[in-house]
Amino acid sequence: MNIYVTGYGVISSIGENVEETLLALRSEKTGIKQGEKTYTERFKVGEIRWTNDELVQRFALTQDASRTALLGMIAAKEAFQGHTLDPEIRTGLISGTSVGGMDVSEIAYKGFLAGETDDLDLYRNHPSGTTSEQIAKELGIDGYVNTISTACSSAANSIMLGARMLLSGQLDRVVVGGTDGLSQFTISGFRSLMIFDDEWCRPFDETRKGLNLGEGAGFLVLETEETMKRTEKKPLAILSGWSNASDAYHQTASSPEGLGATFSMKGALAVAGLVPDDIDYINAHGTATPNNDLSESHGIKTVFGSSIPPFSSTKGYTGHTLAASGGIEAVFGILALNNGALLPNLNFKQAIEETGLVPVKNYSEGNTIKHILSNSFGFGGNNSTIILSKV
Amino acid sequence: MKILAHSYVCPKGTYLNGKRVFDTGEEENPFKSAYQQLGVEYPKFYKMDVLSKMAFIGTELLLPFLPKEVDLENDLQLIFANSSASQFTDNLFIDSYEQLNNPSPSLFVYTLPNIVTGELCIRHKWYGENCFFVEEAFNPGHFSEWTQIGLNKGNNVCLCAWVEAKTNGEQECFLFLLTDSEHADNSIELELSTLIKQYRNE
Amino acid sequence: MSDLKENLKAQIIEQLNLEDLTPADIQDDAPLFGDQGLGLDSIDALEFIVLLDSNYGIKIADPSEGKEIFQSVNTLAAYISKHQ
Repeated sequence: MNIYVTGYGVISSIGENVEETLLALRSEKTGIKQGEKTYTERFKVGEIRWTNDELVQRFALTQDASRTALLGMIAAKEAFQGHTLDPEIRTGLISGTSVGGMDVSEIAYKGFLAGETDDLDLYRNHPSGTTSEQIAKELGIDGYVNTISTACSSAANSIMLGARMLLSGQLDRVVVGGTDGLSQFTISGFRSLMIFDDEWCRPFDETRKGLNLGEGAGFLVLETEETMKRTEKKPLAILSGWSNASDAYHQTASSPEGLGATFSMKGALAVAGLVPDDIDYINAHGTATPNNDLSESHGIKTVFGSSIPPFSSTKGYTGHTLAASGGIEAVFGILALNNGALLPNLNFKQAIEETGLVPVKNYSEGNTIKHILSNSFGFGGNNSTIILSKV
Repeated sequence: MKILAHSYVCPKGTYLNGKRVFDTGEEENPFKSAYQQLGVEYPKFYKMDVLSKMAFIGTELLLPFLPKEVDLENDLQLIFANSSASQFTDNLFIDSYEQLNNPSPSLFVYTLPNIVTGELCIRHKWYGENCFFVEEAFNPGHFSEWTQIGLNKGNNVCLCAWVEAKTNGEQECFLFLLTDSEHADNSIELELSTLIKQYRNE
Repeated sequence: MSDLKENLKAQIIEQLNLEDLTPADIQDDAPLFGDQGLGLDSIDALEFIVLLDSNYGIKIADPSEGKEIFQSVNTLAAYISKHQ
């Protein structure tokens, strides 16, 4: 039974919807720049320009909530546009997040520490689970709602669980993806790990120093063939493969040989019934940290041997959007499928000496792209891969 | 589906299959005490956050109950959940930069709840699937749904856990091993609800 | 020197959130890193860099130097004595 993608929505520093995003991808223009908020101004980040209040107004949202929830509402709304709710069609929502409502809580907490009057009501936005419920409420979905929190693989895992809920007959349709807003908590944390690059990040480059953080949300609507007959929606892509595996090496670093990456890529191919040669493009996790890119390169070499397909990291466009990355990059993958596009790995100059792998350097269309593989690897050694195929 | 074994770890004690195996109620450091009573040598334990420590202890006790014929390296699935994600450690991390002006990397590492499953996989060299859900309350129905998906896929046993550490002091870890069984068992949800209630009342 | 070592142990416990340990649990010459020792790793090495700066005013420019310096309480104490 095929799982079809019948809707997609995205917001990131390169675009506020799918159309803008495609234009930005084509123009090879990055959304990363010097931060404009007090806690981002020292760093290069893929920030969305609007404040939370502006997001609510601009996108006609009905709830005031944390940045993570608001971004999620925007992308999920776009994905679900044109879909109608129907009691006969059991619809759920699964969202991934790492930040949750922390951006609101940390401001409230600061005030609390300073002895100012504390508005406890603000903290109701805090839990990760609340962000998913708020997104579901914005879409009018009151069925199955769940939240996955597995760091940078959260959205990919949400997509995977969604597919399985459909296959097991527990749902007919599901909105899946992830969202994360930038917060001081996250910026401080990554700073303490010393894995930022002060310059624009250079995935898969020998001189790479680290990542740039980003924010955003990406969601898909998944349906079975059966459901599609009833909703009469046109499929955008087929979600043909998925897999999750553990790297079992370190809390935040990836194993040198890229074991977890190897397992998740092989696993996704097996689910899709494909061989490595079938993959026409890999959207890598490619955070531009010295560790990830080398580890992932070894994983890619292990799985694809001597015929590695064109690959790239698109984090040079958006920054690392953490829990949202699997969702945002799934949308990128569908755009690549339907436009025959190979997406470039911005800022690349010099291959990693140890592997010699060269990613896609420039945007192009008109390529034969039938199957795309997308990696999302989270702290905790939580490695996920999804495969999207042309209808 | 059936429960192969279960354990429960909280500050006042550690329990296996309903019986208390470690009494730590009077201890200043209950989880250190439980770890030492376990008698295993794993110094990385001391670095772990509260969630990981509880899950570590509870999992060590369940190891003998893992079926021998299962390929644990590849086919053991970890399905964990809680309602507060990494709230306890999040607070400590915020204090490290708000109050001490030095964001602590070793605390930041644990501000993601799924590091718990990561720690267990590192310890036991398990390379299979793992996931972490954030839900309002312990929902045995969801655990049995997720496990069924895993069993359909070919995983023979799932290690499930509800592991919580809140800033209000509530700390608990309820671990259970689920596997397939010959007859369709609808009572598993009731069994799990009853077990966690019993443990909480201990 | 022995005062310095005792202080160091307490500081290590605090900086690395090893709240279950006491200074008595850490031997002077016990390896701190790797599987043999306290099981500390590259993340903890970052904490040591912060510790040396905040408590002793010693800055380590290159994190990779840390491997030699942070081997044990003995090597740490020796380094601090030399650079203060």
